[in-house]
This record gives sequence, structure tokens and C-alpha cells, in this order.
Amino acid sequence: MRRSVFHQAALALMLGLGLLPAAARADVELRLVVWDGDESLRVLRNVTQEFEKAHPGIKVRLENVDYRYFFQRLLSQIAGNSAPDVAMLDPQNMQMFAKRGSLLALDPLIAETPGFRLDEYYDPIVEVHRWQDNLYVLPRDIAPIGLIYYNKRLFQEAGLAEPDGTWTWDFEPRPELGSKCFTYVMSRLTKKAADGKVRQWGFAPSWTGAFTDTVVFSQGARYVDNPAAFDTLNFTDPRVIRAFDFVASLANDKKWMPSQSELTSVVQSTAVDLFIAQRVAMYQCGIWDVPKIRKALKPGSKEFFEWDITLAPGYKDPKTGTISRAAPTGGSGYGILASTRHPKEAWLLTQWMAGEPGMRAMAKAGIAQPAIKRLAQGEDWIPGPNTPLEQRYPANRIVTDLAAREVIFPPTADYWMEISGLVFSKTEPIYLGTSTAEAALTEGERIASQRLATILKEEALPSFDWRIGGTVGVLLLAATILWIYWPERRIKRSPAQRLENRISLLFLAPWILGTLLFAVGPMIFSFLMSFTKWDIIQAADFRGIGNYREALFQDPRFWTTVKVTMVYTVVSVPLGMVFALALALLLNTKVRGMPVYRTFFYLPALASAVASALIWRKIFQPEGGLLNSALFGADGQRNLLGLGSWLAPGGELPNWLGDERLALPSLIIMSLWGVGGGMVILLAGLQGIPDYYYEAATLDGAGIWSKFKVITLPLVSPSLFFTLITGVIGSFQVFTQAFVMTQGGPNDATRFYMLHLYDQSFGSLRMGYASALAWLLFAAVFVVTRIQWRLNKYVYYEGAP
Amino acid sequence: MTMDRAASRTRIAHRASRAVIILLLAAGCLVFAMPVYTSLAMSLKTPAELSTTAAWSWPKALTFANYQEVLSNPSVDFFRLFWNTVTISTLATIGTVLSASLVAYAFAKMNFSGRDRLFAVMLSTMMLPAIVTMIPTYILFKELRWVNTILPLTVPAFFGGGAFNIFLLRQFFMGIPKELDEAAKIEGAGHWTIYSRVVMPLSGSALATVGVFCFIYNWRDFMGPLIYLNDPQLQTLETGLATYNSLRAEQWHLLMAGSILVTIPLIVIFFLGQRYFVKGISMTGLK
Repeated sequence: MRRSVFHQAALALMLGLGLLPAAARADVELRLVVWDGDESLRVLRNVTQEFEKAHPGIKVRLENVDYRYFFQRLLSQIAGNSAPDVAMLDPQNMQMFAKRGSLLALDPLIAETPGFRLDEYYDPIVEVHRWQDNLYVLPRDIAPIGLIYYNKRLFQEAGLAEPDGTWTWDFEPRPELGSKCFTYVMSRLTKKAADGKVRQWGFAPSWTGAFTDTVVFSQGARYVDNPAAFDTLNFTDPRVIRAFDFVASLANDKKWMPSQSELTSVVQSTAVDLFIAQRVAMYQCGIWDVPKIRKALKPGSKEFFEWDITLAPGYKDPKTGTISRAAPTGGSGYGILASTRHPKEAWLLTQWMAGEPGMRAMAKAGIAQPAIKRLAQGEDWIPGPNTPLEQRYPANRIVTDLAAREVIFPPTADYWMEISGLVFSKTEPIYLGTSTAEAALTEGERIASQRLATILKEEALPSFDWRIGGTVGVLLLAATILWIYWPERRIKRSPAQRLENRISLLFLAPWILGTLLFAVGPMIFSFLMSFTKWDIIQAADFRGIGNYREALFQDPRFWTTVKVTMVYTVVSVPLGMVFALALALLLNTKVRGMPVYRTFFYLPALASAVASALIWRKIFQPEGGLLNSALFGADGQRNLLGLGSWLAPGGELPNWLGDERLALPSLIIMSLWGVGGGMVILLAGLQGIPDYYYEAATLDGAGIWSKFKVITLPLVSPSLFFTLITGVIGSFQVFTQAFVMTQGGPNDATRFYMLHLYDQSFGSLRMGYASALAWLLFAAVFVVTRIQWRLNKYVYYEGAP
Repeated sequence: MTMDRAASRTRIAHRASRAVIILLLAAGCLVFAMPVYTSLAMSLKTPAELSTTAAWSWPKALTFANYQEVLSNPSVDFFRLFWNTVTISTLATIGTVLSASLVAYAFAKMNFSGRDRLFAVMLSTMMLPAIVTMIPTYILFKELRWVNTILPLTVPAFFGGGAFNIFLLRQFFMGIPKELDEAAKIEGAGHWTIYSRVVMPLSGSALATVGVFCFIYNWRDFMGPLIYLNDPQLQTLETGLATYNSLRAEQWHLLMAGSILVTIPLIVIFFLGQRYFVKGISMTGLK
């Protein structure tokens, strides 16, 4: 870092002489990483370009990573000491970086900046980004989910006055209050057909959970005692229990609101689509849906209808008569990484992005509500007389300013994700109508409290000694090599054998070198970490066998996930092999146009995973889904092979992904669709069987079955064996399907081992524990593969040495 | 007379079985084309139509605006990403086919000390979830100064090409009749000659399978480019597509148009590659 005085002097001289025009600009490149989608990315690109113009000498490299992978990438880069300079952060993830020293405290920078006014920002969004009195993130937007989008036409048709935001919700509709009672409005705007089926819902939440939060918070209840560092859970508060029951009954009994499964499956994916299609009259969300609605509902187009937004209803306390509101809220901002080499420039960029230039641009595009009050009340955000027609919707944007004053952020303690995950996986059955709120919340809180006690228990651990660790690593490698050659230690080698050994080393060289270079180190590293408490960012502490003991005896999810993964493997692997073989045999027949057929059959493996996930949701959806239509007919009355009464005893259509018993079988059915890989491998095996084997057998009078048994099966057995071994190894590590389709639910029915491991590693930053989980998995797979290897003697290798 | 009847009966049976096969194939095509068909249908709709119609309904009026937008988006430079992806996938595929076949040959056709246990060690590298080796691997590549280059995504392929591919090729190589390499040995051929003149030429289908798999895998790889390539200019198609699939701000119309564009080259590759899946070791000329 330090340059010699002479060097600096020479540089200064050259600069002065204009000899180094390029170096004179001495460009500082700042890396800015955000999780925005395409729409906001276009806006941000302009904002950073303007920043570059205003600050010659600073270049900005804008990187975009979706939220789902954002923190995994950021953590890797922090661990590898190549973190960006400025990163987008939100209240939920700020603390885990701040408390480990990865972020610069902004207060000293603010103090040095003349004219900077933090009081221009909405208070709650500033406060939520503090940790231990220091501010770590400068907020760029505040995003209350406290808005109701409503369809004006449907209100008029029902003869209801348009909502002005002063309404309240109640556990029962109150017709005497008219349009001031949200629950009553909801009931009036619901239209049912003669057969009881819902044609139009009164209301839809974007996330059922967020609506429940609104109901909980507006009653004054909270889930935890202290959002920044809680140690007590309040999920069994009667107000919380009543809120869950209320929301569930709106969907399941009253049917004024689509249920969670209906919500995710009817048209595309979210409430906003239902709103655009005029199948719900109002829905709850934040402001970020505006661009999508504007694009779909262009004034003058045939899809267009008048719409606007208003405040979510408050709750009127029956005793005191006071009305309280609360909007569950998100928001985000920019933080400066402590590792930056250009803190001054990074602060300039942060001020720009989370200050007027950045916010103004985002506000104009209607994407994000400014975190600076003045801007949220100004013309860029609130439409005025000069606003172009297509940007005038929604007109009533001033309510966002009101909503921003009644926000409730989710707890910022970095263990909230894990703890709430334990509770909320138990609450899914409430929404599905299979459990009462009281039973589910009591059970959820019991499990979560136990876990919380474990997390909060401080362990005094010695720091991990890398000298011992390194020695153990080298010994492990030596032991592995010893194990490989141990059985051969007494065997006298002939010169020919020695030559064979030496030549074999040449053939194996790429793999041996590659393994030593790229694989052995990381594997040993993770093995060592499995005996530590390691959060990726800070140095590891030695925990002995504590992680293994925790996994086997204390982790509330360990055995559940083992069971789910075992069931999945035992069923899906053999089924998949039979299916793949059947398809391969079909594709091995001699029919014209076979290349085309083969390509079609392999399409699911080529198609985008997002498209496949979308389609499977359509197939499994209860109402009008392809699978249910096939089984029960379009009217849902047919009972094919008596399956209906077996699948759904209650007489309702089976809810494949939402039902605890059916979710895992659904994922297994789904896995069959992805057998393309196995099919191609088996096809290649089948293609290797010479025709004259079959011709000879035909001459001998062999039938189809005996030809299959005597020729096909033995000759394809090397490929079958391969699909079995790799299939089992793969299915023990199955992850994506559940990650995309069910997130482990309902009630942990599809919580695979790897899902749990992933949550622990990058979600809860317990990489040491996750490593222990990984090595337990390794041991299990190794043993299972070893046992399966006994089948190798039944495999027919024509060229067996 | 009876001969005729028997012959015609077999002919009828033959025709019937052909009809069944074609029926099954057609049904399979319908089922398996679903994801691509749906993406295609969605990519040709306007955002408004997307919101109001079923996913698989065919658009009332075709619009190519989505494709235009994807191809001209300055934030996601499609053509640059395309070439990045082609480069990475091609290099990784070449490396894998070359090095995995060498290693697989040793495991399948050579008889060296410790072979079976070494093979077990090789298989076991597949058994540890990559999540827990991700950070140390990242640090390793960082120390090598490979981060933000395509090296982490291509160089390891030249060093073995992964246990999956080695295992797959080993299975195929073991199916090549022993008589062939023994005959070559008697004529004085060494292992290199047997590998390059006997085993490789007879393994067209297996090599094509591995090559196509490898290409598709690298084409679709998301985590690798995401972690190792910071610079937006170096990104691949799959990470570029993710821009349209942002949480809370999915742009289905652009996402689907992009997916189709990303999938078409793979369909072409597979279609061309599958010709080589056919006829591997069947022309041995033995017996």
C-alpha cells in the first residue's frame, strides 16, 4: 500500500507535466451490488451514469443479483476478501453484517458531511437500520405492505362508496357501518355462482402471512418482545391466535378471500394478476406492483378499468374505541462494506443512490416510495396536473405517506428468520383448515422457544487452532492414501504390474492433479469446520463434536428431514429408473422421425426451470388443475377408480402441493418428468447392443420377454447400475424442487435434508453446523453406495478385465 | 395357405405394435413438450394478456415485442452474454470429454494397484454437498487470482471433468469386449494406442452423451457464474435471465422470451448430438 516518497514525487511530477493523462484521472472503480429486477435496474443505470458525470474520476460498476442468492454471494465475497464497496441491504439482513464488523458505521461520515440531514428521512426506516446506536444503512425506500389496491368499477357496481382510508376491519361484518367496515365491504364484493363456486373475491392478500400480520399488529400485538434482540415469543397471545383463525376462516369458510393455494395457482402467480383479471375487487400489497398494473391496464385499452389505492383498514378497539393501524413493512437502503478501499467515494455514491438523485428517479418510475419525506410528498411521487396520463394511476398516492408513519418492521435480530421459520411452518395447516390456530401456534412456539434457548445460550469456546487443524488435514489425506493401498501392501508386484501402475498414473494424472488442486483442500476445510462454530465472516471457534451432538440429539428438524429424504429416495429412484428404461426402450424402436421424438422427450431437461415450476403448479392446483381435471373431470364429480375418496376423504378436490400427505408424492411425480438424463444414458446403452444378438435370438424362437431378459437387461445393466448409484447419490442431495415448489412445506412435509442444510449454512450463518450436517450426509451416502455396490457382481460387463 | 395366414397374422401383429408405439411416442411428445410450449405461448403474449389468460392458452394475437425487448435491453446485453456462455460451455465440454475419457479408460481397462478403492474415493467426491465447499473453493480461486475470469468455470473441466462423467464413461468402456483390447495387445499395442485407436472410436455414443450433458450443464449453470464472475460484462445467459425473474418483480413476458432464446441452442445441440448416441459399439465386427 505504501509507496516510496520518491515514487510519489515522480508521479506528482509526471502528473504536473501532463505526461500521464490517463493516470491523472486515476479512476476509482466502485462496485455497487443491488438485488433489483430489470425495471429498477434500468433506472439505477441512469442514476449511476449521472453520478459518474457529477463525480469525474469515479466509475461505478453496477452488479445485480436476485434477492434469493444475494446474501450467499455477498458472504462468499466477504469470506474471500473481495466484497463490493457498496451493497444494497435491508433491515432483516443488516444486523448479521453489522454485528460482525462487515459494515462501516455511517454516523462519522454523516457528521463530516455538511448539510446532510438525516431528519429528512422517515424515522422508522432510519431507526430500524441502527444496531447498537450506530447507523449502518442509509435507507433508499420504505415499503409498507399497508396499501389496498381497489377496482373502482366493482365498488360502484356494488353500490359501495369508495374507501377513503378511514375504514376499520372487524371479526364480523358490520353492515351498519357500510363502506367503513372492511369486512363488510369484502363480503359485499364477493360474487358466488349458484353452485357455490366463487366468481369474484372481495379481497386478496399478496401474501396471506402479511395480511395476518396486519390483523395481529393493528390489534397492538407483537410476535416478540424486542425486535432487535428478543428472548421471548408471543405467538400464543390470544390476539395472535384470533388473528390466524380469522384470516383462515375468511378463505376457508366465508370464501371472501382466495386461500393460499388458490392465490398461487389461479391465473399466474400473485394477487395482482387476479386484480388485473378483475377476479378480486381489492388486494393488499406494497407500492411496487404499480408498474406492472400500469403496463397491463393502459388507459384506453380494452383491459382498462379505473383503479386506485387506499390505506389498509385499522382496528377499532371495542372497549376504548380508539382506532389503531399498522402496516407490515419492508424497505431497503445502501451500506458501505468495511473492506472498501475508497470509503470517501463509497459514501458519495451512497448519498447519491439513497439521496435525492436516486430516490427521485425511482419515484418517477413509480417503483419505490422515497425514504425522504419531502420527496414522498412531492410531485415526483404524488401525481399532479402535469403528470402524463399513464403515470396518473394510482392518484391517491398521498396515502403512502400516511402508511409510512404506521409501519412495523419484522424483527431485525439475525436469528428471527430461523425462529419464525419454525413457527410459520406449523401455521400453514391453519390456513389449510387442517389445524386450529391455538394448537398450531402452541406447538410452533414450543419448538421455537426450545431452539431460541439453544441459540441464546452463550458457549465459551476456544478459538480454532489452525496448526492442529492443518496437521489433522494432512494426516487425513495420508490416511486416505494408506487406505487405498493397504490391501496391496504384501502383494509382490511383477515388472509388468509395475509398468501398468506407472502408465496408469499417466492416465489418471488429470484427475489426481485436479482433485489435489481443487477438491481435497475444500473438502478437508469443510471437515475441519464441522468441529467448529463458524459464521463465515468471523474466525472459527472449536466446538469439538458439539455440532454432531446437536444434529443427532437436539435439532428439532434433523430427523424429520432425514425421514422425508429417505422416503423420497426409496420411492423416486426405482420408479425413475423403471420409467427411464421404459422411455429408452420406446425411443430405441425403429420408427421414422425418431430424432425428433427423442428431442421432444428430452425437452423437460432443456426447458427453463422457472417455466417447469410454473407448469407444475398449474398441474397440481386444486381447482381446474390438469391432474384433478383428469382424475375427477371438469366438474370435479367423477371418481376415477375410487381414487377421489381415497385422496380426499372430505369430498373436496385434493390439494396436491398444499396437503401434508400429498405434497411429497407430488414432488415424486414431478421427478419422473425429469428422467430425461437417465433416459438418454440408457438409450446410449441400448444403442450399443448389436442387432444380430436379437436376430440370432429370434431365429432360436425367443419371445419378446425372454429377449428382454436375456439380451437387453444384461447388456444395459452397466448403464442401469450407473443410474442407480448416481440416482441415489443425487436424490440424497435433492434440493431444487422443494426450494422452488414448496419451500419445505406444508408443515415440513417436503423439508428435505439439503433444504435444512442450506438454511443453516447461508440463512442462519452456521456454516460449522452445516458442515457437520454435510459430513453426516456424506457418511450415510457412502455407506449406502457401498451396500449397493454389491449389486455390481450382477452387472454384465462385456469387457470386464 | 396356413403359411400365408400365419404370415399375415404376424404382419397384422407387427402393424398393431407399430401403431401402439407411434401412439405412445405422440402422447409422450405432447406431455414432454409442455414446458417449452408454455414458455413459447407466454413469450408471445402482451403483459395484459398474460395476466388475464391461462398460462398455456395460445395468444390471441402474436407479439414479438418481448423478444425485441430482450434482445435490445442495455442492462442485459444478450449477444455478449450469449458469446460468454458459448465460450465457457465449449471449453468446459472439450476439457471434460478429453480428460474424463482418459481417467475412465484407466479405471475400466487397466489393472493397477489400489484401483477399486481409488475408484471409491473418486465416487465419494460426489457425495459431499457443494454448499459446504463453496466458501473454501471461492477463497482458493481468489488466491489464484481467478475470480472474475472464466478460469474457475473451465479449467477444472480439464482436470478429470467430474466424477459423474468419469463414472459414466467407465461404465461404457467396460462394455467394450475384452477380446478387442487383447487382440490389440497381442499386436503390440500399448494403452495409449488401445485408448486412442480402439476404445475412443468405439465410444461415439458415450462420448456424445457426456459431451451433450456437459454442454447443457454448463449452459444452464447458474451458481458458478453468479459467484465467480462479478463483472456484468462477463455474465452468462442464465444469470442474465435471472434479471427478469427478480423476487416481487417477475416480468413473465420477458422471462419467457429469454428462456426460449436460451433454450433454442440447446435443442439444436441435442438434436445434432443425438445422432451420435446411435451406433456406438455395435459395429465391432467380432464373431
